[in-house]
Amino acid sequence: MSQASPSSAAASVAPVRFSPRRVWTLAYATMTQLMRMKILPFLLLFCALVAAMGFGFSTINPEQQLSQFKTMSLGVLQVFSIVFGIVATALLLPKDLEDRTLYTSLSKPVPRFDYLLGKLLGVLMLIASGLVIIDAVLSLILWLQQSMLFASAVSQLHSENQDSPEAVAQIHEIVARQGLTWNLHWAVWAIFLKAAVVTTVALLLSCIASSTLFTIVITFCITIIGHGHAMIREFILQPNLGSTATRIATFLLATICPDLAQFDVVDSVANGEIVPWAAVYEMTGIAALYMTVYLFVTHLVFVEKEL
Amino acid sequence: MSATPAVSVNHLTKVFKGHLGKGAFRAVHDVSFTVEAGEVYGLIGPNGSGKSTTMKAILGLLNATEGDTSIFGIPSTEVASRRSVGFLPENPYFYKHLTGRETLHFYGKLCGMSGDQLKSRAEEMLALTGRLGLAQALIHEPQLLVLDEPTAGVDPSGSRIIRDLIIEFRTRGITVLVTSHLLEQMQEVCDRVGIMAHGRMVREGRLDELIAVENQTELVLENASPDLLAKIDALVKAEGGGTRLLRSGHPRTTLERLFIEATTEPKKP
Repeated sequence: MSQASPSSAAASVAPVRFSPRRVWTLAYATMTQLMRMKILPFLLLFCALVAAMGFGFSTINPEQQLSQFKTMSLGVLQVFSIVFGIVATALLLPKDLEDRTLYTSLSKPVPRFDYLLGKLLGVLMLIASGLVIIDAVLSLILWLQQSMLFASAVSQLHSENQDSPEAVAQIHEIVARQGLTWNLHWAVWAIFLKAAVVTTVALLLSCIASSTLFTIVITFCITIIGHGHAMIREFILQPNLGSTATRIATFLLATICPDLAQFDVVDSVANGEIVPWAAVYEMTGIAALYMTVYLFVTHLVFVEKEL
Repeated sequence: MSATPAVSVNHLTKVFKGHLGKGAFRAVHDVSFTVEAGEVYGLIGPNGSGKSTTMKAILGLLNATEGDTSIFGIPSTEVASRRSVGFLPENPYFYKHLTGRETLHFYGKLCGMSGDQLKSRAEEMLALTGRLGLAQALIHEPQLLVLDEPTAGVDPSGSRIIRDLIIEFRTRGITVLVTSHLLEQMQEVCDRVGIMAHGRMVREGRLDELIAVENQTELVLENASPDLLAKIDALVKAEGGGTRLLRSGHPRTTLERLFIEATTEPKKP
């Protein structure tokens, strides 16, 4: 151990700046911390569930079967990512406070913003990793199912002596539209963006509240309200509806809650509609804007938080 | 010794706002003290006396309601002040998913360390302290160590090792600000102490001066016989040969007694 030189400390007054390396250290530690919370078996269980769903639907027609599979699996994936994002984030700060790792971390030259960003990135990295794995499993199952259904439909046409090139091409077009396309990945991306926005809201609430349960319940409420944002806007825009107090309260609610319906592309994807690039850019931009605003407010709260 | 104190606390007052019908709580009231670079300073007081709040304010974990604190001249509100501080909280827990080495690497990386420098420093600290809590506090070679009850939950031999380490830190020029309930050990290691009670600093100064009893005088004799003791007043000035008056001064009470006296004084309004 080297000799300490007190005078050198007084000289080093350069401010501590934002450090991506420090944020990465915190994010990686957060991700591995969450990984140890038995999240992997849960992920495997989800993959098994998706696989079972893929082959579990009764064959009505190829189009419906593929559509049902996508609706169900993407719906479950959406719920999984939101629940995980809320619960994991709500637990992080109280756990660090209880274990005093928050004290040992923040008594080092670590700006509070770096700490917050590291925690948020850690949760998002884990959600993203989970979604990438599930997306791969989903794609594989969809491709297998699509191949099987196409073969089965062609075989049926053949047995009925109706396998004209036009009929086969029509079946191929239907199955291909409902099968594995980039749209599936855009739907998973939209699910990630929605989970990321909700996770940032949970981080903000966990900085304000001292109770994990409060954070979880209120974030779920905001998530539900966020899906009905269009209704709230409609109410505000109708000049004759409700008292002034109700209108002010509704306006505040609309300001606080994110419009999560902006990320709802699952139904379109399930119906085989094409998600245009512009929509993907727009969703990404909206999510980035929401996250920036929520993170900024979170920083303002956390920087003043008494630990 | 540097002219800039390692820690400076000026008229620190901390009031916690009340919530849900509870009134505001004044945890620290107009506390001032300095810790000079290179010394071991003991902050002692009963539970709820405001020690931890004062420490948190020094570390920038709490904002002062009034007054200010600084570390080596840098205000505690600036993150840069933490470059030269290592903190060991009371009963620390560490991330369960990390091994001891990984924990040290994590904290080292937070301080901007990397590569071989971090690895060798982590090994060195583990070997020196044998304790993860202390090792993480020392990983970035701080010039100030803040130890909050470092011996809490530690067995007597471990407690003695920590005491020896504190003495070792002082030898190496590291300033130590420590709180403990083990007053005997505090008496052994501290150069100066501050005693807090009811959020106020009730005694503060050099340990040997604080525990001196002003209205008494002691004579320290070498090779004194029982007879000599009986005649001491008359003989001491005239005595020669092997008997010498080594020191005259104030006999001392113990830090523990001083602590009890100080903290049981009636609360000031």
